[in-house]
Amino acid sequence: MPHSTFKRTGTLLKLELRHDWLKIVLWLTGLVGLMAAAAAKFGGIYGTQKEMATIATTLKTPAMVSLLGPFTAKPPYTTALIYGSEMMVFMGLFTVMMNIHLAIHATRSQEESGLTELMLARSVGRQAPLLAAMLELVIVNGLGGVLEALGLQAAQMPGATAAGNWLFGLGLAAFGLMFGSFSLLFAQLASTSRGALMLSYGFLGLVFIARMGTDVQNPDLTWWTIFGWIEKMELYTNNTWWPVLLMLAGALLGGACAVALAARRDLGAGLIAPKPGRKRASAFLRGPLSLLARVNRTSTIVWLLGLVLLGASYGSIFGTVGDLVKTNPVLGKLLGGAAVAAANRAVVLAMANKLAVIFVVVATIPAVMMILSLNRDEQKGLLTLMQAKPIGRLRLALTSAGYGLVVGSAAFIAAIWGMAAAGQQSMTITITLARFMRSFVGYWPALLVVCGLAMLLAGLLPKWQSAIWIVPVYGVVSLYMGPLIGLPKWALKLSPYGWVNKVPVAAVNWGTFGWMTALGVVLLAVGLWAYRRRDLLMN
Amino acid sequence: MTEVVAIDHLTKRFGKFQALKNITFTIHPGEVFGFIGPNGAGKSTTIRILLGNLKATSGQATIFGQSVWTDAVAIHKRIAYVPGDVDLWPNLTGGEIIDLLLKLSGQKHTARTDELIKKFDLDVAKKARTYSKGNRQKVALVAAFSTDAELYIFDEPTSGLDPLMEEVFQQEVLALKAAGKSILLSSHILSEVERMCDRIGIIRQGESIEVGSLASMRKLSRSTIHVQTKQPLTAIATLAAVHQFKAESNTKAEFTVDSEAVGSVMDQLSSLEIVQLQSTPPTLEDLFLRYYNKEGEADATQHV
Ligand SMILES: Nc1ncnc2c1ncn2[C@@H]1O[C@H](COP(=O)(O)OP(=O)(O)OP(=O)(O)O)[C@@H](O)[C@H]1O
Ligand SMILES: [Mg+2]
Repeated sequence: MPHSTFKRTGTLLKLELRHDWLKIVLWLTGLVGLMAAAAAKFGGIYGTQKEMATIATTLKTPAMVSLLGPFTAKPPYTTALIYGSEMMVFMGLFTVMMNIHLAIHATRSQEESGLTELMLARSVGRQAPLLAAMLELVIVNGLGGVLEALGLQAAQMPGATAAGNWLFGLGLAAFGLMFGSFSLLFAQLASTSRGALMLSYGFLGLVFIARMGTDVQNPDLTWWTIFGWIEKMELYTNNTWWPVLLMLAGALLGGACAVALAARRDLGAGLIAPKPGRKRASAFLRGPLSLLARVNRTSTIVWLLGLVLLGASYGSIFGTVGDLVKTNPVLGKLLGGAAVAAANRAVVLAMANKLAVIFVVVATIPAVMMILSLNRDEQKGLLTLMQAKPIGRLRLALTSAGYGLVVGSAAFIAAIWGMAAAGQQSMTITITLARFMRSFVGYWPALLVVCGLAMLLAGLLPKWQSAIWIVPVYGVVSLYMGPLIGLPKWALKLSPYGWVNKVPVAAVNWGTFGWMTALGVVLLAVGLWAYRRRDLLMN
Repeated sequence: MTEVVAIDHLTKRFGKFQALKNITFTIHPGEVFGFIGPNGAGKSTTIRILLGNLKATSGQATIFGQSVWTDAVAIHKRIAYVPGDVDLWPNLTGGEIIDLLLKLSGQKHTARTDELIKKFDLDVAKKARTYSKGNRQKVALVAAFSTDAELYIFDEPTSGLDPLMEEVFQQEVLALKAAGKSILLSSHILSEVERMCDRIGIIRQGESIEVGSLASMRKLSRSTIHVQTKQPLTAIATLAAVHQFKAESNTKAEFTVDSEAVGSVMDQLSSLEIVQLQSTPPTLEDLFLRYYNKEGEADATQHV
């Protein structure tokens, strides 16, 4: 490869870092802050052997294993050990998300905005933007890893060793880098940034679900899921370093493939070439709503199927989860058959509650994306022609919000349905679909409120609309991890997801349902009103 | 009958930046109105206000007598619009987009649509993502020309078209004009404006600086004269109405004359026994450059 293909990579890298610095700072502060804060608290919550033994039993249940990875440590436990098993998979997931966003933004999004073309015309090497993106990922992950390790060092958890702390931090860095370079690869395959994002998340979803299954059934198979590599470092016990090498090798491989593919494709195109289409519009395509449905057809289908799959994969372990006697034979002897069935039922329902939080947050993503796309499409000029047509701006905005809400709600239902269907197959006890659907009715108003907040931002502060993502991210962190890391009650109530009672264990609280729905509607209405009365975003 | 478009002392401020300071013009029914001005003058901003996309800071703007901001939907039923930068949904084909745009205006794909597709030589089965700039513009043009509207708004519609397509565009605009439609055409291609427009508005730095027919503007400007006479031309050079006098020889010269003085200068010339004479009225380009420079000079002196 001639030297000039990478010319001016350094300049591009500087430009990118300058452009992305705020995003990078926010992500790293969030990740490092979460790790360090949890580490500092853990000594207090899991200090005694008794406390640790209790949490270890919980962490060994299939429900927790599916969420957080297997708990393989042997007593005597240390605080650091508990911390390692609770945080690893979870931190890995967020690190990967950061990398997907940075990778796609630095490649496809830039290309779409025409920036890349401008730069390539200025004696910048053809492959320089890709290489600059890779270097950006290396820098961000490296920095993140070092800061995380330092944070752990500073927290001085009982049982933590320097080796374990650095392995944790740098392991996360390597893990993030690997998935980031996979995203660079996907960015070459897809023909739009949205497509690249979908491929990246699709892949993440697939390997995450696969690791969930193998962890519950047979942790040895987890090696095959790639995502599971992060669980194999045996933090604070053996401190195995070679999974990190494996991840770095994966990163190199992904990066090399991306470079090879990039050399073979045209700017602005993907390797998957678009085929010719219809000469005339179908009767279906006739207005703003059908246009949205048509333009987002593939992504909508992917979201719905993805959530059915996500639900089903959790549901499929309900049989194991809801078999307390298997994990704890003494229990069977202590309790009678009927009491065991009731206990099993309670365990499954409690897990369904935890899962509902995950499902509703994941379902929020397509809904909020639709609402934010209103401003984004407007800025890209996609709506210019439409806005000169006899369609009110209110109607256009309402269509986006409405479509987003419908897709979000449908995705949420799909997940619960998948969970219920697969659960009923795997369980010996019966829990009806209607019982599981309490989760939907209970958590749906939270979805609505978050959509309302998104519309409010899109209408009032369009430049800051992406800040809405803090809400679902915080929601899942606080509710998923909050109880484990001892977050105070009020902190759990900072996101709308924390306002809902424990459905489907408890019955739907109609009072909460009522006022949250009303709040969501008001937020939506104010957002729409603000949108209606301001200038459109144009360049 | 009311004016199709009436703009009165329109201003628009983006934060601290005053993009429009004072735009005032009207478009009469059945008229092709040319809208010209240097880059950044505020043409597109004015048009976006007319479309109800931007809210005017002050001043009046109406189309068909209705407010462009509050009655946007009603107005849009009766207009067609082509922007200079056309962006299309990448995963729809050109054909689908044309049909959709027609349906959004409550109209149908007709034989006329097919005729236009053929005339503009557009491959409608291709995904919009693969279209060139010119092809994207053609999609918007085909949709606009096959829409039956009362007012057509074009904002630099031909910036990506090749000369052949530019010709098709002009034919179609003239056909609309013949059918009595009103047209607002913003363009940097002055020959296009000169050929088709009944009246012209020139704006600069957010202000209307001249509105009127080309003929009336010409009156305010100078004609170029190329002349050869038998007797020496020295006396001509000293006339007050003669400018930019360039002598090629004693009896051959090129100069410009204030339009109102052309008659008297001609009399003088004929007394010098004309051998050859060529008189060119000012082109729009001359006018445009003159307005542009005049303002520029005024600015320059202000800064001193
Ligand atoms: N949304 C906006 N925010 C801030 N400034 C803007 C905005 N839109 C336009 N402007 C500024 O307003 C001025 C007028 O822009 P406009 O696009 O109307 O010019 P134009 O006459 O159409 O120019 P051109 O011939 O280049 O198309 C420019 O200086 C532009 O930078
Ligand atoms: Mg313009």
